[in-house]
Amino acid sequence: MTPEPLRFEGREVPVLDGDTVASALFRAGVRTFSRSLKNHRRRGLYCGSGECPNCALTVDGVPGVRSCITPAESGMRVERGRGWPSAEHDLLHVADLAHTLMPVGFYLKTFIRPRFAWGMAERVIRRATGWGRLPLDAPAARTVARHARCDTIVVGAGIAGLTEALEAAEGGEQVLLCDEFAIGSRLAPGPTLDAVRALETRARATPAIQILERHAALGLFDGPMVPLATSDELVQVRADRVVVATGATESHQLFPGNDLPGVMLGRAASAMAALHGVPVGRRVVVVASTAEGVEHLRVLVATGARVVALVPAAFVDEVPHEAEAILDGELVEARGHGHLRSVIVREVGERRRIACDALVLSTGLRPRDELARMAVDEPVRLVGDAALEADEPWLGGGYLCLCEDVALHDAEQAWAEGFRSAEILKRYTTATMGPCKGAMCGHALACFARGRADAGDARSGTRPTARPPLRPVALQTLAAPVHEVIEKRTGLHDMHVAAGAALGWSSGWKSPIAYADPADEYRAVRERVGLMDVGTLGRFLIGGRDATTLADAVFAGRVVDLAPGRSRYVLALDEGGYVVDDGLLCTLEDGSYLLTSTSGGAERMDARLREWAERLGLHVHLLDRTSELGAILVAGPRARDLVGGLTEDPIDAASLPYPGHRELTVAGVPCRAIRSGFVGELAFELHHPRSNGPKLWASLQRAGRDLGVSPFGLEALELLRLEKGHVYLGQDSLPDDTPVKLGLARAVDMTKPWFVGKAALERLAELPPTRRLSGLVFEDATDGAGLRGVPLTVGSAVVGRVTSAERSPVLERAIGLGWIRRARDGFPDELRAGNTVARVVPTPFYDREGTRVRD
Amino acid sequence: MTELRTWAPTVTSVLASAGACDRVGDLPGACRVSPGEVALVGDVSEAAVAAAVVRLDPDAVVLDVSDGWGAHSLEGPGSREAFARLSKLELPVAGSLVGEVAGVAVRILVDRDRIDLLVPSMVSAHVRERIETDCAELLR
Amino acid sequence: MTLEIACPNCGARPHTEFAFGGEDRPHAAPDPATEFERVFYPANVEGPQRERWYHALGCRSWFVVTRDTRTNRIG
Repeated sequence: MTPEPLRFEGREVPVLDGDTVASALFRAGVRTFSRSLKNHRRRGLYCGSGECPNCALTVDGVPGVRSCITPAESGMRVERGRGWPSAEHDLLHVADLAHTLMPVGFYLKTFIRPRFAWGMAERVIRRATGWGRLPLDAPAARTVARHARCDTIVVGAGIAGLTEALEAAEGGEQVLLCDEFAIGSRLAPGPTLDAVRALETRARATPAIQILERHAALGLFDGPMVPLATSDELVQVRADRVVVATGATESHQLFPGNDLPGVMLGRAASAMAALHGVPVGRRVVVVASTAEGVEHLRVLVATGARVVALVPAAFVDEVPHEAEAILDGELVEARGHGHLRSVIVREVGERRRIACDALVLSTGLRPRDELARMAVDEPVRLVGDAALEADEPWLGGGYLCLCEDVALHDAEQAWAEGFRSAEILKRYTTATMGPCKGAMCGHALACFARGRADAGDARSGTRPTARPPLRPVALQTLAAPVHEVIEKRTGLHDMHVAAGAALGWSSGWKSPIAYADPADEYRAVRERVGLMDVGTLGRFLIGGRDATTLADAVFAGRVVDLAPGRSRYVLALDEGGYVVDDGLLCTLEDGSYLLTSTSGGAERMDARLREWAERLGLHVHLLDRTSELGAILVAGPRARDLVGGLTEDPIDAASLPYPGHRELTVAGVPCRAIRSGFVGELAFELHHPRSNGPKLWASLQRAGRDLGVSPFGLEALELLRLEKGHVYLGQDSLPDDTPVKLGLARAVDMTKPWFVGKAALERLAELPPTRRLSGLVFEDATDGAGLRGVPLTVGSAVVGRVTSAERSPVLERAIGLGWIRRARDGFPDELRAGNTVARVVPTPFYDREGTRVRD
Repeated sequence: MTELRTWAPTVTSVLASAGACDRVGDLPGACRVSPGEVALVGDVSEAAVAAAVVRLDPDAVVLDVSDGWGAHSLEGPGSREAFARLSKLELPVAGSLVGEVAGVAVRILVDRDRIDLLVPSMVSAHVRERIETDCAELLR
Repeated sequence: MTLEIACPNCGARPHTEFAFGGEDRPHAAPDPATEFERVFYPANVEGPQRERWYHALGCRSWFVVTRDTRTNRIG
């Protein structure tokens, strides 16, 4: 079935079976495929292998598509990128006429003043030099990411690659063989293709060889790991060995006129003629100095064109008799205006002009060794043409870098200005910095520098560093293995959603911020009773015979005297004396401990406990119970009434004192009730099996209706704890905060012989404290809005920062916490926070004696 | 086509010395998390297990922690292909291991084309969503 | 980057399963005279360094590894 024609700039272009977008357009007479970046010179098909920028078109709205390797599909919409008003008639071509006004690096010496003009200039430049418009309203396509593992990965499925893969498989290895195209698809019929097909048949019959066609290798990473990309898949291949069999490109030679449409490399011309049946010209000059070149010559002669062949004398017998042979001739120049019209050849010392409409060059090979050059220490081997020594390029003139429109004389000018190594020439001229990343021109640039450098200066001629990606890759493909933050949920999540709570991110958990009006929720807790899902807290079981030793070591305070049924606020420090996390330690009936930690610090606390158990060689059993246990905070003056009504167990102040804990059955659910002081009211944390959470929550809500119960979320919590001056680690603390700086010295017992961080605290105690967290009242502010994060100043000097700020209904003013640096004569207590005066006050702001908590 | 099934596992955690863990490490459904921890998936007699380990480690902890775990199973041809989209780990033909899947520490029990992923219940919904998204075309 | 680290329990795993715990500075008997130096002046060698790693997304055990800080080669 014949595919439907392409839609190309308002006309229909027929498509034959096997066509690429480029071959269909070429057959229809298109010769200018793009305009060059800077000078807007016409560019035509050149390399035929997707490596040079010339054939890049916008296909179905996607710019930068290499049309010479993209199969043509029914109804594709194709347009050229640069050029105004069109690529065919491009007024911006004046740039080429004015190119002497824009020498290499000119934009580094101009466009400085007037500064306002830059905005306008940038817009014009972007339009003139862009690849095309991104289809921003295109629907996001799906890209799959997966991992693969093998013993050897072979990149490139030509003769060398297939041979290596078969050998490795025979040696018992699991092999992954990949190629950016379908195997053999770029070869014209002939002996090479036959050899490839024979090897391919054997490879496909070998189970140990996994073949991934149309997968382009993007680079080589530590591992070694080679990512392979298609348009909708990213495969990250981890191998023990890497074999690079990526072959070689035909040499890009530099001579005047080398970028004219009509000048092509041998493989491009040969593929166009033999694979797609389109002759590249009627009068073709072929320069063939390799065996491969002779094969291309034969293909081109067979198209019926008049061929003049420039070959070395040794090849005289290879030239088909239909072609005119010029032996040991030298190509001097290609001439034409917008398209090739003739070439100048030097033949036995005499210059001769040959009229032609195609110049085909097959003069040598440059190895595609970028992958291997990315390796630092990885087991990587080059085989086949990829292992060749590149030939010496002609440096006669013309364009060095096609992508960035850098001519050879631009490089000469840069050298004259003092930029004298391949690396610095690259950065100054931008040669090799285009989409082909030096595939065509990197070698020539290095040879240019080497040729001019002083003998003995080995470094100036080194190829610039090879960097990924080797092939253009969509950001969406690179993003495929990247996932968003892992969302943790408590067992009550669905109930919060059903209740219409506003959920938000907090320390990796999806938690209710508020159910309705946070001000109402706050009032419920202060005046009646509130319920909060605190199942996000870290919970740990610390058991085993050395449990107390571990707790004594890890926590800064005294724990050896903590009796069963009692709990204590504890701080975990690191060896620098800095606060890692805080929590509540509860001694259980059998002498083991239940530890709670902050929601965000659970992983850190777990790691810390395990680290010191290992370092001290302790026999302990650590179990992370965070997922397993739900927890509901019942807080407020009526909390005891609420819980008491649902349990037969005694919870009066004597049976469950503060600070303490005990087992309770509440609404039929087995719980451990821990008295909590965080929100500044009588409160019970009910820790229970996760699966019983919904039943417990519902029972508390039902039973609490007459008591005026209300669920409350993180926003109300923020104000409740702030009125008590309680520190939120991570919000109010800095990474180098010690207990003294946070006002938590009471949680430290310096009489203990040792604990983690003690030595640092002792040393720090010898110095006056330099910073501390303080309570603040903001005199002129009505609420805390916009105060958090504001610098605290004395005069014009910044001496601190506000870390928390809210309006306190109890004090009827804005309060907060902030850290303040010590001045020469002590800590200032009158400061400014933006527009308001900030006064240091002692904390807590509310219920200073803590009588409500201790009820 | 691979089948994805989410279920509530029965998990018993054994925290004991290495020698004591050895005594239960080969039971069916056992995952040796570390030298000092074994997770037993499936119905076990907590009392029998406790008796077996306590002899060698009187401090041993044996607890039913089922509430802490959710399970997602991939079964059928293509289960390993689906797994490869979720993790870099290489799976044995059969056995158990602990490692990163979908960004989370997962206990994996594998037997030919059935792969059981035990995940902490707090991230169970997350892992399920990730499997459904990343393996969409592979799932029945 | 896919550096692999060999956990003594689980075998070679991608480094993304681990958390780095810093240079291994052996915990000696607490001696105030040397403790501050031990904590705040790490050797920071250019070359093979003994360091602590934590298998956070695996067995959650801590172990020591020798890594060459110049080449990232372990062992």
